[in-house]
Amino acid sequence: MRVLLVEDDQMIAQGLQTALRQEGYTIDCMRDGNAAAAALRSSRFDLVLLDLGLPERDGIDVLRELRRRGDATPVLILTARDELADRVAGLDAGADDYIVKPFDLDEVSARMRSVLRRAAGRGDPCIQHRGIRLDPVTHSVERDGEPVRLSAHEYAVLEALLQRPGAVLSRAQLEDRLYGWGEQVESNAVEVYIHGLRRKLGADAIHTLRGVGYFIPA
Amino acid sequence: MIALLALVAVVSMLAGALTYRRVLVETSTLFDYQLRQMALSLRNQVSLAPRLELPPNQEDTDFIVQIWNPIGVVTYQSRAGLPFIARPLVGYADLTLRGQPWRVYGLRTLGGVIQIAQPIRVRRALARAAALRVMIPLLVLLPLLVLAMAWVVRSSLLPLRRVAADVKRRDVNSLAPLAAARLPEEIAPLVFELNRLLLRVDAAVSAQRAFIADAAHELRSPLTAVRLQLQLLERAPDEPARMQARRELGAAVERAIHMVEQLLTLARSEPHHTRTAMEPVALQAAAADAMADMHALALTRGVDLGLEAHSDAVVRGEREALRVLVRNLVDNAVRYTPAGGRVQVRISGGADSGAGTGVGALLEVIDSGPGIPAADRARVFDRFYRRAGAAQGGCGLGLAIVKAIAERHGAHITLADAAGGGLRVAVAFPAPAQDPLRFA
Repeated sequence: MRVLLVEDDQMIAQGLQTALRQEGYTIDCMRDGNAAAAALRSSRFDLVLLDLGLPERDGIDVLRELRRRGDATPVLILTARDELADRVAGLDAGADDYIVKPFDLDEVSARMRSVLRRAAGRGDPCIQHRGIRLDPVTHSVERDGEPVRLSAHEYAVLEALLQRPGAVLSRAQLEDRLYGWGEQVESNAVEVYIHGLRRKLGADAIHTLRGVGYFIPA
Repeated sequence: MIALLALVAVVSMLAGALTYRRVLVETSTLFDYQLRQMALSLRNQVSLAPRLELPPNQEDTDFIVQIWNPIGVVTYQSRAGLPFIARPLVGYADLTLRGQPWRVYGLRTLGGVIQIAQPIRVRRALARAAALRVMIPLLVLLPLLVLAMAWVVRSSLLPLRRVAADVKRRDVNSLAPLAAARLPEEIAPLVFELNRLLLRVDAAVSAQRAFIADAAHELRSPLTAVRLQLQLLERAPDEPARMQARRELGAAVERAIHMVEQLLTLARSEPHHTRTAMEPVALQAAAADAMADMHALALTRGVDLGLEAHSDAVVRGEREALRVLVRNLVDNAVRYTPAGGRVQVRISGGADSGAGTGVGALLEVIDSGPGIPAADRARVFDRFYRRAGAAQGGCGLGLAIVKAIAERHGAHITLADAAGGGLRVAVAFPAPAQDPLRFA
């Protein structure tokens, strides 16, 4: 899952990045409103963690522009503004959730998962499909009841493919989800992960559409 | 009002008492006059007719008439059985006849002495009756006067009670001005000044509230960082991660402490905070102290820090506050100046050149950093304002503190471009004028 973190406080940004990376998210961090808006225009993210009190351009403004474009990327507001009026304004501007500082990491993680679940149209936190069960909370995977050990990247690829069974994701799109800017990507990394997944889950778990990408059959 | 009414009552009673006594005295004079007139009228009668014709109903009068002939024999007595006056006294006299006091008047005539006497008891009774009759209007008017006064005073004081009720409704949360319409001119100045006071109090309370709200809000970020790092420490999968988290946690705690300290300093520097004693402070010493605190940071950042004192400037102020002022200016300069840069503190003016200087002391802090564009110069003094690209560690209060302290000392701050492209902050203290603490 690729997350855009927009936070101008360096300590908080660093802390969140470390924590979320430990949970397996790919994080890109922007420090001001203009940079955040530009990033949202140019790249695709699964979730945005948005601070409101940003230099250059206020977070609410960035959010409004995003929604005006019709972009439905889930947005979670993290801010020190706790007045009721602020919360209502934030949610009405298009945020999916609103968390006040100082926040608890566990709560942020849980709300992120909740927002992602809703964005995928699922009710059950776990993703179940054709005998494969993926639990985003514990990052555990089971196949027909048997637990399966996956590397962090393998898990990330599987989760990306399970979000919408039947939808095809190209290698570039998978790389997009796995790596932030400034990270080196091995040219065949994705193939390696797909190979690993097939080995552990069964050859027909993931299909290849030659020249296009990979998908999990619906 | 009670005092006023009591005064009026006492004065009225005094007037009444004096009037009463006056009436008694006046009636006494009248009665004496009456005796003499009776004697005179009888003399005329006697001289006309040797035998006295007296009205038949003499029993009703209180008077005794006695007439003596020239050889000392009583020739006539108005009533038998009435007290007998022993001697032919002439003029007015007070006698006691049969145990009762009498007033006697004797008139010498050609045919002897005519004496008229009247019992004093009777005179007194008549006098009292007259005096009381005089007093009646007074006695009727006095209560009316008291009531009228009470009413007038009450209704005059009614606006005051209204104002008092109005003031009573005011408290910290509602400091609106008092209604000032239709006030008697005695109360208007009071209400006017009260309204001005309310305005000042409202401003001070609002400023305090805003400060507290801002402070609480701004503390959220440092505390969020603390909590984050603590949770990361708990989750750390291995020792290097744990050590990293511990380091970060320490830094986050330091940052929170710094913010709290700056907040307290700012609160103490605010104009309405109680002042410590104003004393002559040597700027050079204050600056040197402050710079000693900043020396380590400057070294860490590779910034050259120095002091240039062109004069023994002495300012009248609060010693610790001035140290804080210099410290915050230097702190800002050091944080914003890149490594290899220079921060210079310069002191000039304000010295005692002996001949009554009109120039105040000038404290300048010049850095070789990026400077502040003219457009932002007003905003940098706002609380919690941090410029984009600010170095880590600041909490945005440094210049706000400097401004507050400068105001307390009547000093003026200006921001300008330094020669080398950095920022020059100048704090101009007021001229000493007739400062008695200047060295002679």
